[in-house]
Amino acid sequence: MFFENIKEALTSIFCNKMRSALTILGIVIGIGAVITITTIGNSIKGTLNTSFNSLGGGSLSVYLEARYPETDEEWATWEYPELTKDDLFSEEMIENLENDLSDVVAGINIQNDLGYGKVSTSYDHYANVNVNGASLSVIENFKLKIKYGRMYTQEDTDLAKTTCIIPDVMAKNYFENENPIGQIINVELDNGKSYKFTVVGVYRYDQSLFGKPDSSVPEKDRINIIFTPYTTINKLADAESEGYSYLDISVNPSLDQSQASETIKEYLLKYYEDNPNWTVYIYNATEDMKIINVVINVITIAISFIAAISLIVGGVGVMNIMLVSITERTKEIGVRMAMGAKKRVIRTQFIIEAIVLCLFGGLVGIAIGIINGFIIGAVAQLFVNQFYPDYAKFIYITINPSLTAVLLSVFFSMLTGVFFGFYPANKAAKMEVIDALRYE
Amino acid sequence: MSETDNIKRPIIQMHDIHKSYYIGKPNELEILHGIGFNAYEGEFVSIVGESGSGKSTLMNIIGILDRQTSGTYFLEGKDVNQLNDDVRSEIRNKRIGFVFQNFNLLPRANALKNVMMPLVYSEQKPKNRREKAMEMLKLVGMDDRAMHKPNELSGGQKQRVAIARAMINDPAIILADEPTGALDSKTGHMVMDIFHKLHEEQGKTIVLITHSQELANETQRIITLFDGNITSDKGGAL
Repeated sequence: MFFENIKEALTSIFCNKMRSALTILGIVIGIGAVITITTIGNSIKGTLNTSFNSLGGGSLSVYLEARYPETDEEWATWEYPELTKDDLFSEEMIENLENDLSDVVAGINIQNDLGYGKVSTSYDHYANVNVNGASLSVIENFKLKIKYGRMYTQEDTDLAKTTCIIPDVMAKNYFENENPIGQIINVELDNGKSYKFTVVGVYRYDQSLFGKPDSSVPEKDRINIIFTPYTTINKLADAESEGYSYLDISVNPSLDQSQASETIKEYLLKYYEDNPNWTVYIYNATEDMKIINVVINVITIAISFIAAISLIVGGVGVMNIMLVSITERTKEIGVRMAMGAKKRVIRTQFIIEAIVLCLFGGLVGIAIGIINGFIIGAVAQLFVNQFYPDYAKFIYITINPSLTAVLLSVFFSMLTGVFFGFYPANKAAKMEVIDALRYE
Repeated sequence: MSETDNIKRPIIQMHDIHKSYYIGKPNELEILHGIGFNAYEGEFVSIVGESGSGKSTLMNIIGILDRQTSGTYFLEGKDVNQLNDDVRSEIRNKRIGFVFQNFNLLPRANALKNVMMPLVYSEQKPKNRREKAMEMLKLVGMDDRAMHKPNELSGGQKQRVAIARAMINDPAIILADEPTGALDSKTGHMVMDIFHKLHEEQGKTIVLITHSQELANETQRIITLFDGNITSDKGGAL
């Protein structure tokens, strides 16, 4: 009986294709709007999160924080404590943290620099450089692309080797046709000191990181940033590292940031248990991201509800056409009743017809909504590429149609069918067989 | 009491049937003024009367499409006025086969589906429905037109499909309301021949409602209705 009803509904819908299409238009628009909005909301969330992470937002900022007094009496005499060498995060602490929590800590982002200098072989064959120290995770977060050669390794970092990577611009201008890999460069710093580095790799110059080159400066005079392990810088500068008051820690991306933050805090606090003046504070930017996500969710839901109002309009349209259809088919209803169709069978038949009609509308609406989402996403990506080319690398617009929204839409379109189909169907079922049969 | 009384089972037992419209209103109108008759299994009865004689009203009551205002009507021994709508639907479905003047086929469905329709409401398996419907179409010689829609059939063919539909649940009575009214005399005769065949070969009880004395004369029993009363009842078993 159920399948008969569906078949019957499909026949009646397809017999009047144009009318059915117009009937479901309201539902199509309603569901289409809801799906478009939820798809975009979901996509904004996804895009923000991936962009945020690719911009390094996924790392934790670890600070030293003064221990504030707890009582008013103490406040009266309290002075901000002086930060001494012993209070800082030491190299040893960092090494232990990396080793002991190796499954949590993806890398500690440490940067330092040696200053500006020059590499030259003769008066007119030279390159201006800035020697930077960076831990491996910094380079990873920068998404620097090694064009050829290799990146310096963890071993290089541990042993403070004088290996370095240079930008492709320098490789082209300074080494010209020579292969720079394996070459030893002698950097004469502005402060008069000079250091030797071995080139192990060439990275692609990235405008989004280092900015657009100043076009008034000839290419060969540009300052090239050379990266070397931060430990090497410490060693060369002979600044027997005093330690750090701030650490930037990248967390294993598969872990929950907040939990990782707690683990790291707990670990570091062990070193500060007995410190009377200082303690550890961790700022987790993803916590802010969570709030943004909540805000986007709320906005999406709120706008979806407004869009869903058009479902009511669509539903009323369906009800209207069902009423017309039932009047038109009064005779048919009469015949069916005369042939033994019970009232509830007639009611079920028309409710199912309304449900099938609305379901069609819902499915078409879902398809349109998802297509809309992809079109809008493509347009937005074009917009970013066109107007914010520097950020294009970090902003991947990913379109995620929300599965929950799709399922809910299917459910609600059917519910619309039941709700707005019930009155007409009941009207049909309440007809007296004799009146319906004799209806002309 | 004749011998047939003991053999023949009464299908329709009507006693003092009244039917009024607009009850309690100033324009109250009584159409039937106390109709009483019995029809027995295997009878071919015609109810003849001019328009306005109340024969359509009577046919609606016999077909359980309408309820009488007073009086009793037993169909196969059941007081159908006491039954609820669902049971009445079931009786219409299984025990009564309708043949209408204007065929009342569903325009969107082909002949086969039209014939199967009552089986859908008696919830038979789809496979059985098809077989049985084809059998019935064969009976009325319409099996070669099974896939045709009503608008592709002639009047006579439509009526034959309608008869097949009426027969499909093997009903206790076939109720034919002016079955030849919309047909020319030649096809009308063809349809009447089918009724005679069903009556003679299958022993069907048939109630034919008509205004035509000529058509009525073909049947074994003629009940004449005039102005809401039975004025004559000829040729019956009693």
